[in-house]
Amino acid sequence: MAKISIINKIFNSGPLLLLYYLCISEIDTNLEKVFEIFTLNFQIILIYFWVLKRPEIMANGHIFVAGLINDVVMGFPLGISSLSYLIMIFFGTYVRNKSVNTTIASDWFTFFMAMIFSNILFFTLINNFSELSFSFAKIGYNMFFTLFTFPIFWLLFNIYQISFIGSRDA
Amino acid sequence: MSVSRDDFSIAFRSALLQRGGAQKFSVLSLIFLALIIFFLDIYGTKFTKPVRAFINDVVYRVTYLASAPTRFFPQVGQNISSFMDVREENKRLKALVEKYESLKLNVEFLADENKNLQKILETEYFNQNLSNIVLAKVLVDKNSPFLKSIIINKGTRTGILKGMPVTKDNYLVGRVVETNYLSSRVLLLNDLNSRIPVTLDQGAQAILSGSGSKNPILEYLPEDYEIIEDINVFASGKDGIFTPGTPVGKTNEKGEVDLFVDPNQLSFVTVNKNTQVQSK
Repeated sequence: MAKISIINKIFNSGPLLLLYYLCISEIDTNLEKVFEIFTLNFQIILIYFWVLKRPEIMANGHIFVAGLINDVVMGFPLGISSLSYLIMIFFGTYVRNKSVNTTIASDWFTFFMAMIFSNILFFTLINNFSELSFSFAKIGYNMFFTLFTFPIFWLLFNIYQISFIGSRDA
Repeated sequence: MSVSRDDFSIAFRSALLQRGGAQKFSVLSLIFLALIIFFLDIYGTKFTKPVRAFINDVVYRVTYLASAPTRFFPQVGQNISSFMDVREENKRLKALVEKYESLKLNVEFLADENKNLQKILETEYFNQNLSNIVLAKVLVDKNSPFLKSIIINKGTRTGILKGMPVTKDNYLVGRVVETNYLSSRVLLLNDLNSRIPVTLDQGAQAILSGSGSKNPILEYLPEDYEIIEDINVFASGKDGIFTPGTPVGKTNEKGEVDLFVDPNQLSFVTVNKNTQVQSK
């Protein structure tokens, strides 16, 4: 019984560990070497899905710390990724509070809204308060591919949730 | 209508302030905390800079360790394939060694001659010695879609300062933009924020600007200047930071610059502890 509980805990921690690992390791979802314009922000997909479906396994504090780590590794001003992730949490929690049941289409639409606000805040703060400059084309590609790969990851995470964690939709 | 507004405000407040269970912190409190950290980092005081440098050092080391599997597996694959070709390579290398042995004498003669000529010209280059060169290992090479930079394992402890040029095999790679005690961040030439003065084969001056993609571009060329393929691009050293004549790359058919060093394939680099940067 205790063994099953430990295995459950490991599976439950999977998404959070993946988030930390993505933030701290060299692994990135920037596949420019394969296809020049293909970049996506996998972290926000991960955060949004799990905050929407199982917020208890994605604690706000952990996401905040993961954001700080991401800033250090990527060379952004400290706190900017955390802010961006917190906006995703806010939208995810709001949608969760407002809706009884969600579908892939509704999640996709609300994700789009959340991503727009999150990225606007991210790039506005960076543009106005730091010396870093970004290519708007790159930002556009990043948002486009993040949005259009969301359903794929939604399905994969859903399979993970049903297989290893157990469904408990809103 | 009013019920709907109530619903909205309840859901909105709940999303911002909800705590309990696994959530020990509300979103609103963390947003405030993130904003405070952000502005402290941007308008850094004397207190925040060393703290940030310490955090950077710790996180970079952990990143290096955490990325070990991602480096290990491709390396194993490469090793296996190179092991297969070892006999072939051995033959080829033997032939090369013979060739280079014969060239060695020529090189020694030319090096002596070059030294003597530089003495005559009294160039700064001649005055630099090997103690000004620091070999550094690339700790983290995270390929961000927005920032093109690497993190090296040498920092202020070895005398590295912001602005110092970084090279690989004497080809320019970038410059140091952030220093910590044990590590530094190097902005690569293809980063959107990178600008360096360069000179072209025919003597034309320009600014090499990172475009965010693999190949930087040339800006502020002389009027009516037409870029053709295969023009060598060197650092002009007009900013007093980069060593004049450091090779950078070659122009391609699109008018961009193909860098001599692939920015995605860096494992060791050298930092030039230029005296002009130290005095700044």
